[in-house]
Amino acid sequence: MIAEEPRLDPGRVTELAQSLETELARLIVGQKELVRDTVIALVAGGHMLLEGVPGLGKTVLVRSLGQALTLSFARIQFTPDLMPADIVGTNVIREDKGRREFQYQAGPLFANLVLADEVNRATPKTQSALLEAMQERTVTVGTETRALPVPFFVLATQNPIELEGTYPLPEAQLDRFFFKSLVPFPSEEELLEIARRTTGNTTPQLKPVADAEAILAAHQVAREVPIAEHVLAYAGKLIMATHPDRTELDSVKRYVRFGASPRGLQTLVLAGKVRALLEGRYNVAFDDLIAVAHPALRHRVFLQFEAEADDVTADQLIDEVVEKTDKAKAAG
Amino acid sequence: MSSLESVVRVLRWSDARSSAVRYVFHALLAAAAWVLAVVIVARFIPLEQAVRVAAFGAPFAFAAIAVAWIAARPRPMRLMRTADLQLGLKERLSTAWERRLENGPMDAMLRRDALEKAARARLAAAYPVGLRRGEVMLTAAVAIAAVGLVLLPNPMDQVLAQRRADQAAQAQAAATVAAAQKKLAAASTPAPVDPQAQKILQDTRAKIASAPDPRAALQNITPAEQQLLQLSDPQTPARASSAQNLANSLSATSAGRSASHAITASPSQGAQSMRDLASQLQSLSPQDRAQLAQALAAAARQAKDPQMSASLQKASSTLADGDLIGAELALQELAGQLDALQQQENNDQEIAAAINGLEAARQQLASQADRDAGQSPATASASPRASGSGNGNSNGNGNGSANGSGNGNGNGNGGGSGGAGGQGSSGSGAGQGSAALSTERVYVPAVPLPGQSENDPAPLGPGQDVPQAPYTQVIQAYQQVALDAADQSLIPGSERDLIRAYFSSLGEPSTGK
Repeated sequence: MIAEEPRLDPGRVTELAQSLETELARLIVGQKELVRDTVIALVAGGHMLLEGVPGLGKTVLVRSLGQALTLSFARIQFTPDLMPADIVGTNVIREDKGRREFQYQAGPLFANLVLADEVNRATPKTQSALLEAMQERTVTVGTETRALPVPFFVLATQNPIELEGTYPLPEAQLDRFFFKSLVPFPSEEELLEIARRTTGNTTPQLKPVADAEAILAAHQVAREVPIAEHVLAYAGKLIMATHPDRTELDSVKRYVRFGASPRGLQTLVLAGKVRALLEGRYNVAFDDLIAVAHPALRHRVFLQFEAEADDVTADQLIDEVVEKTDKAKAAG
Repeated sequence: MSSLESVVRVLRWSDARSSAVRYVFHALLAAAAWVLAVVIVARFIPLEQAVRVAAFGAPFAFAAIAVAWIAARPRPMRLMRTADLQLGLKERLSTAWERRLENGPMDAMLRRDALEKAARARLAAAYPVGLRRGEVMLTAAVAIAAVGLVLLPNPMDQVLAQRRADQAAQAQAAATVAAAQKKLAAASTPAPVDPQAQKILQDTRAKIASAPDPRAALQNITPAEQQLLQLSDPQTPARASSAQNLANSLSATSAGRSASHAITASPSQGAQSMRDLASQLQSLSPQDRAQLAQALAAAARQAKDPQMSASLQKASSTLADGDLIGAELALQELAGQLDALQQQENNDQEIAAAINGLEAARQQLASQADRDAGQSPATASASPRASGSGNGNSNGNGNGSANGSGNGNGNGNGGGSGGAGGQGSSGSGAGQGSAALSTERVYVPAVPLPGQSENDPAPLGPGQDVPQAPYTQVIQAYQQVALDAADQSLIPGSERDLIRAYFSSLGEPSTGK
């Protein structure tokens, strides 16, 4: 099916991504890194987990994305009483001309862009329903399996401070997210700019820069970006260096419980390819891998309790891994 | 840039230029380090041709570094990767080179992009020509140290010069022995002992040549001389004396006068004359026979050789009894003994020639050994065991005194056998001495210093009757006096060696503590 899609010129993908970033910047103040990560995940066809306190513009970001891409958008507020059927849809009895029959009523997952707000507040059962849909891009209700619309892009959010009454996502489910990005609190200057933009009479309207077909074509083009063997080997070294039993780094041995999975390597390479396109290149560079290492790996490196006690974060360990993995040496 | 291959060519040239400078510098460092190492070693170990060894190292270092430079020629992929990293080309060149034969959707664009970026970059900057400051400093320091040590005088040069002189002296001595050997081989009258004497000389020559130093070489000469002397018959002097007495006795007779002259001339002529006399006995008058019998009886009485005495006695008695056949037989027997004497004298001449050769070699080695001893510092040694030597007199008795080297004293007695000439061959003795502490100074009667009269009064300590001086100040003078005296005396070479060895041991550093 993808092969039948009209092929997009790589330069057009770069333009698309840059226009998307420009459009989003009209509404989103600052957060350039977050926007860049979002565009990369979108073009790569992966889902994102955003972590940040409420009110930092996560919903605005997803809604803006929908506007800029003319894609359907749905927002689901996850709560402890949210049931799987509430998100995937359910069969309801309808009466038509005196006959009663079951009819499927689609849930909010049937949209191109889905914002799963505070995903860690739902029960594991509902989380699993979402994560299955993310992975398989289908939902099964009763005996019927239904495909989700393409492109299908989920942005889940979670609040790092209100942990009471939450169900933290297990490691296996975290691994399903392509990126995990942190939404930082804006600087003072950015804060003032947010106030200026959002407290006036007019709100900027975004113009569409691409449609679903362009996004799908961009998926295909991104996968065609070549990566040299020594650059790929470097990505492999980075992944190996996160494993306590394979690394030479003392800090990793001490603080890491499990290192990044093979899916982490796939993410690193694919995200690197998209970033290369966004940078106007036709090959993956070491810098691309380093740039995407944090969002690609921070939720795939599982820390020991000792790390929490010593206030060591996954980002710090990833920094050390990147710093200590020599490019020339890793490539052989 | 028209193609990736042209990029590779430019990068290869840049790398070759950059690495050549670096490798040449490494070669310089290696060569300087080699020279420094050789020069340092040559200051602790006497190294023959140290400069040549050091000089050979330099081209070797350059050759080894050149081979390493050629072997380290990088592959195109490595060149591209280095250029990417050094020029910030974001892995464009390496990816394009790796996929140069691929025909994927983006490969053409990738190559175009890579070449475009390469054309804008200064590719030679990927391989800058330059040296590390630390390397330059290290090389300069090593080179300066090497040159400095080469220019400074090396104490081992003296040792090497002495070693060369020793080797030359040993070679000369071996050549002298070889000359004596040739002389024996070319002798007009070969003696029976020739093969044995040749063998002894041959062995001695080999030992002299292979000895570590002249002193050790000298130790091989005395045993060789003794072996040669053992080849000589000890009865030869007695037999020669008996023959001379016979000649004297016969000179008073008319029949034996010619035989007397012949014996005096040589034993072989004497033997022939005795045979003639035996054949003429029939024609002699009774008076002549009686006179001859008396002369033979007198010679028999004076003869010290028992065999000759018996033959003379037999000839005399048979002649007096008128038994001409018996007398003739006895005189024939006497002629045979004179022939044997002639052979023994020939042997002795050969042995003497061989010993003369050895003595000449001894002189050459001894003078070099003396020079070596004079060059080594005169330090006192304290060996608790002492050796002694004694000179034998004509009666075969000898005594020797032994001095413990350094500050030990001892006494010893030795025995020696005296020859006819009244020279004692050798004596030996052993002495025991107690070693004093190394800090104790040993004083001996002083030798007057130049410009100082022997009669000058010198301050004397309590209980002293002669002036005292540390013996290390006078040992060389004592040695010289003793060796001069030994050279002027008719004593065997072995005894002179003993004197030389004694003084050498006094001058050696202490090892026996």
